Amino acid sequence: MTRAILRTLAILAALAVTLIPILWMVSMAFKPPSEWQAAGEALTWVPRAPTLDNFRYLFGQGGSDLIATLDRTAVKPILSSLLSASVGTLIAMTCGTAAAYGLSRFGSGANLPLALIQLRLFPPMAVMIPVMMMWAFLGLMDTWFGLALVYGIVTLPFAFWLMKTFFDDMPKEIEEAALVEGCTRWRVFTRVTLPMMAAPLAAASLFVFILNWSDYLIALLLTTREWVTIPVYMASLSSSMTGQLYGAKAALGLIAAVPPVVLGVLIQKHLVRGLTFGALKQ
Amino acid sequence: MASIEFRNVCKSFGTVKAVVDASFKVEDNAFFCLFGPPLSGKTTILRLILGLETPDSGEILIDGKPALGVAERNVAMVFQNLALFPHMTARDNIRFPLVERRQPEAQIAPRVASVAEKLHITHILHKHPGQLSGGERQRVAIARALVRDPAAYLMDDPISALDARLREEARVELKRIQREAGRTLVYVTHDQEEAMSVADQMAVLDQGRIVQIGTPSELYDRPQTPYVARLLGSPPMNLSTSGAFGPGQVGIRPEDLTVTQSDTGAALITGVEPLGGYTVLTLAQGPETFRALLRGQPEVSPGTRATLSATKTHPFTADGHRQTGA
Repeated sequence: MTRAILRTLAILAALAVTLIPILWMVSMAFKPPSEWQAAGEALTWVPRAPTLDNFRYLFGQGGSDLIATLDRTAVKPILSSLLSASVGTLIAMTCGTAAAYGLSRFGSGANLPLALIQLRLFPPMAVMIPVMMMWAFLGLMDTWFGLALVYGIVTLPFAFWLMKTFFDDMPKEIEEAALVEGCTRWRVFTRVTLPMMAAPLAAASLFVFILNWSDYLIALLLTTREWVTIPVYMASLSSSMTGQLYGAKAALGLIAAVPPVVLGVLIQKHLVRGLTFGALKQ
Repeated sequence: MASIEFRNVCKSFGTVKAVVDASFKVEDNAFFCLFGPPLSGKTTILRLILGLETPDSGEILIDGKPALGVAERNVAMVFQNLALFPHMTARDNIRFPLVERRQPEAQIAPRVASVAEKLHITHILHKHPGQLSGGERQRVAIARALVRDPAAYLMDDPISALDARLREEARVELKRIQREAGRTLVYVTHDQEEAMSVADQMAVLDQGRIVQIGTPSELYDRPQTPYVARLLGSPPMNLSTSGAFGPGQVGIRPEDLTVTQSDTGAALITGVEPLGGYTVLTLAQGPETFRALLRGQPEVSPGTRATLSATKTHPFTADGHRQTGA
């Protein structure tokens, strides 16, 4: 009995820690400036005068007497985030999956897989300055594809290790059955292995996408003006008169939450379906 | 439609010798059983026939010609874990070998239909493997092997997941299917009853070595080593070294032991297991334990004494070979 009560309390505490800030952000996104400013009225959970002004403001429609109009709208940062995060994910997943399959089926020894994860042993700061110099030399600074390339490289170890685990767990007899039944190695991969890997691929892609989507540091260092991403842009949302623009930040945070949630819902069907369910006897 | 021949084939994995100097020939259209305890090299021999493993030394001939690449060997396989494609329906699983071999659609559909009918799975063709029972999955896997017209079928203990009663039905059916298809079938099993009941020829394996090849009755009646003798038959053959049944090592099958109850007998009955049609007795004589198989349910009780005599013996030499002339 006491156990059950403690359990419930623990769950409630965990929920409060995770949900209250998110709910607060949602509430704030729909409040007019007077409701979130330090000098404003008392703070309330439900906006007293719900408004879409914060969103309008982000997309460049008018300011108010309190806040100056933005010199850049949120359109370009959203585009930048979408492009760099998805292309980066594509790079990481394509290379990571290919490498994982090759090493899982034909590789020997543990050195190469370990070497890949060692990329993550360095603090990003230690490698980002050299990368900055290389990128400046190559003319990749402040471009979405330069950012996407770094995202692809940085998240490659995750894509690789996730996919390698899935490939290692797949019974080799299924591929051998396809070989015996007349497939070439490539046909085995496209006709049998990849379709069977739909769920793991979807899950790993979502994971990698979220990593790229929420990056701040790399974007801060590699983009300056044209192609800043949502997190970098969000940090810049302040005004000299009123300080931090919490309403606009909350609205942007809400927008930023949309792609991962939508992707998660889209692939949910794959996430819950078993990996090799029914392939084998037991 | 094909014979399969191994000539001095060896295969090791690291320090593990999986197959040691295997030489045998599977005749055309034969039901050939590879029989042995787990890890005795049975599956490796199948994989060598398939071409999924390459021999370290020796030769594999299919139809008298050296074996080719995996896809060109034209042998069909039922894997031990069935290895169905989970993302395809049963129908697509069965169609797979024909589609991959670019057969015209007009031939595929009737072929699939006839195989499905033969295996009684027409009603489940639209389902995915995950929605099928163990027995149904096994049938789909066998159908996938039968659907094309290979030189030989290989089956790696395909019915071991079924319960005893279904297994008995399945092996009768397999025998019928093999006879109807008129194809060579190499079959791996660790179940001596299964091997004896279906095989035309069987090979007994011990740690990668083929220790004896012959028909099931040859192997049962004239085992060449005590190892083969004790693998076949249940309860296993008694081996006596005390001299009570002759010099050296002497094997007596439980059904060849005659038990005569007598108060002055040398053997003590220690266990009685009535099994319906027959009864298994456990007897102690001197330092040795014997098991005897008696017809029906004779009235014996543990603790009484009896005399043992053998109607047939298998004499082995000290180094474990059948005595010549025996």
